Amino acid sequence: MKEKILSVFFVVVLFFFFILGMVIKDKDISKYERRKLTTKYDLKKDAFNNLENYLADQFPFRNTFLSLYSFFDRVFLGNKENNNIYIKEDYLIEKNYPLKEKSIKEFSEKINTIVSKYLTNNHIFYSLIPDKSYFLEDKGYQKLDFSKMVKQLEEEITIPYMDIFSFVQLEDFYKTDIHLKQEAYDDVIKEISKNFNFSLQNDISWKKQSYDKFYGATYAKGAFLSKPEKLNYYTNYWIENAQVWHLEYGYKKVYDVEKLESTDSYSIFLSGPSALIEIYNPTANDEKELILFRDSFSSSLAPLLIPYYRKITLIDLRYISMEEVAKRITFVNQDVLFLYNTILLNESNLLKVKIS
Amino acid sequence: MLFSSISFLFFFLPCLFLCYFLHPKKGRNYILLLFSLFFYFFGEKKYLFLLLFTCFFNYFIGRILEQKQNKVWFIFGLVLNISILIYYKYTNFLIGTLSFLLKQDAIVFNIVLPLGISFFTFQNISYLCDVYKKTIPSQKNFFTYSTYVTLFPQLVAGPIVRYQDVCKELKERKETVIFFSEGVTRFIIGLAKKVILADGIYFFYTQLLESNMSFLTYWLVAFGFMLQIYYDFSGYSDMAIGLGKMFGFHFKENFNYPFLATSITDFWRRWHISLSSFFKEYVYIPLGGNRSTLFKNIRNIFVVWFLTGFWHGASWNFILWGIYFFIILLIEKFFLMKILNNHFFAHIYTLFLVCISFVIFSFTDLNELGTFFKGMFNIKDIRINADTLYYIKNYGFLLLISILGCGPFFKNGLKKLQKGKESKWLISLKICWLIGLFLISVAKIMSSSFQPFIYFRF
Repeated sequence: MKEKILSVFFVVVLFFFFILGMVIKDKDISKYERRKLTTKYDLKKDAFNNLENYLADQFPFRNTFLSLYSFFDRVFLGNKENNNIYIKEDYLIEKNYPLKEKSIKEFSEKINTIVSKYLTNNHIFYSLIPDKSYFLEDKGYQKLDFSKMVKQLEEEITIPYMDIFSFVQLEDFYKTDIHLKQEAYDDVIKEISKNFNFSLQNDISWKKQSYDKFYGATYAKGAFLSKPEKLNYYTNYWIENAQVWHLEYGYKKVYDVEKLESTDSYSIFLSGPSALIEIYNPTANDEKELILFRDSFSSSLAPLLIPYYRKITLIDLRYISMEEVAKRITFVNQDVLFLYNTILLNESNLLKVKIS
Repeated sequence: MLFSSISFLFFFLPCLFLCYFLHPKKGRNYILLLFSLFFYFFGEKKYLFLLLFTCFFNYFIGRILEQKQNKVWFIFGLVLNISILIYYKYTNFLIGTLSFLLKQDAIVFNIVLPLGISFFTFQNISYLCDVYKKTIPSQKNFFTYSTYVTLFPQLVAGPIVRYQDVCKELKERKETVIFFSEGVTRFIIGLAKKVILADGIYFFYTQLLESNMSFLTYWLVAFGFMLQIYYDFSGYSDMAIGLGKMFGFHFKENFNYPFLATSITDFWRRWHISLSSFFKEYVYIPLGGNRSTLFKNIRNIFVVWFLTGFWHGASWNFILWGIYFFIILLIEKFFLMKILNNHFFAHIYTLFLVCISFVIFSFTDLNELGTFFKGMFNIKDIRINADTLYYIKNYGFLLLISILGCGPFFKNGLKKLQKGKESKWLISLKICWLIGLFLISVAKIMSSSFQPFIYFRF
């Protein structure tokens, strides 16, 4: 009898997934994994090479299986991380370890090069947004020494440091994404205004809009089952009237609402990754301009700064070289902020700056 | 196609089950042959005809050898098999070595190693030898012979199944529910060994290799190599044996708790048994074995271990690996075996030497091997850093299961619980456990870019 049970189960499972896999309709995109899936179309092109990918991508209950192993690995095998992702109080936290001192040095040298070569007449600061691993306990996790990182930067970079670590808490981040929620930038903006000498307007009437089905990038990587989150974005008179120009895409809106349903919902903020963006505020009260050397974190911060600047230029040196930027922008009298997340500091080779 | 792939589990196997078990008993070999050829074609389109060619000429020579015991044809068969293996596996290595000796620039040929060539060549050789010695009659049906050579469970990574062990089953075999169930059990255990344990240990030591290494870390990595290679290969053998059983074949065991060995001599009776039996039967004994002078006996042992090492790969580390075992086995044969009895020291001694051997096995680059050994024996650097502790803690349970799984701990534990007779709840527990293990293994396959089987490259 027992022989039959196991044999029947095995055969039934194989046939169940075999038949179901043939019957169910192909999915083109996995929002869960934020990528295109292999479909019958790819199979027609090269059946042999694409069969394994096709069957795995279109496997019935694929997401459940992905989460099942991650659960097994964490709960039964006691493995704290899955694909370099930790989980703490429902927050999926990307491991950022070890501290690559060479990369930090390279980052400092790149900033110093830009400053000495191009920014002679500007009001300049650099600042760091901690990644979520900053909030892990020191013991039991692989966590880099953040104070050592900051200390090294302070010793090496020639411009002043704007410390915003204390304004950020774990709760300010999305649970399933590496980024900060837009509403978490309040104190950061206060600090920026203090350092760049502009006063905040307290009478701004903010309109909050929400998207309830947000799954961030870390969700796919960690394969932990969790509920979708709420992504809020805030508008006001200035944001609605601002003009946004992208080097790659031309004119777009501040909030690209169509992106909410794409594989990367966070791209709602300034349409996602872009080398160079200029935001014009025709209704600005003064002529101040801000240059933001940045990574993706600033996509949700920059809209909140629109009321205070005539023009904000966002430069992502991962996608454009500094030489190319210098051909397009004249640096004179602008406020300049280098604002990077600590994950990028450990990968500073991505920044396209020739060190001199 | 890997056994631990979605395409094998949820496409190949259901199609095969359907065609095989719905087909009348007569003619099922043709189904196996067709599916085995598809299995090979899926992984190695280019060399399907090479595989069929080897089947054909070995079948042909086998037929001639049965009719007249002609040494010329026998040697011709051996030379052709070995030449094909040398050409595909060793050409670049031999040219490289020669160029190095002559201080010339090496010409590198773009020769892709045909999948499983080392295994099917040895099977063909064993067949020719057995037919020539009249141990077995030759196979009269070309398709049946081709079914034997291409039989998908053992085609690409062994075990090396000798024709004499399966010739009866090729003609007539029983496919029963009991065999099928035993096959399923064995297959699931093998699958779990490969995807959960072997791949898990692989991640453990690769992360350690990227960390700040110390004396302890080097030894942990070496220990990781040893466990991973064992679970990878024995997992594959379990799957092959299990698949064979589902279709009524009974392949011989390839592993017998090798890490419980009390000497290296004992280890090689328990590790990759089909390979050591092959060399014993078809190289060592024909060379005279130990029934001649001391010098010849030593020469015979050397030849066997040189070939064992070289068979594993066209690289100096594998030759070194073979010679390493030759030296130890020689020392054991003439001195140590008298001292090494079944006690604690013997186990430690064996594990230590086996651990070292798998370090040699793991580094094809001799400079890297040298650096690794330096680290392993740098006693001055005894420090336990936070990274090492972190990984031990993170992978501790996986390592514990892996260590316990190297012996009969789980098997004996179950026997003790059963107390001689099988209770219903224990049977249910066992079935649930196997079902769970299978689903978790599928989930693991889905979730990771797992490592291909190590033995495929041989």
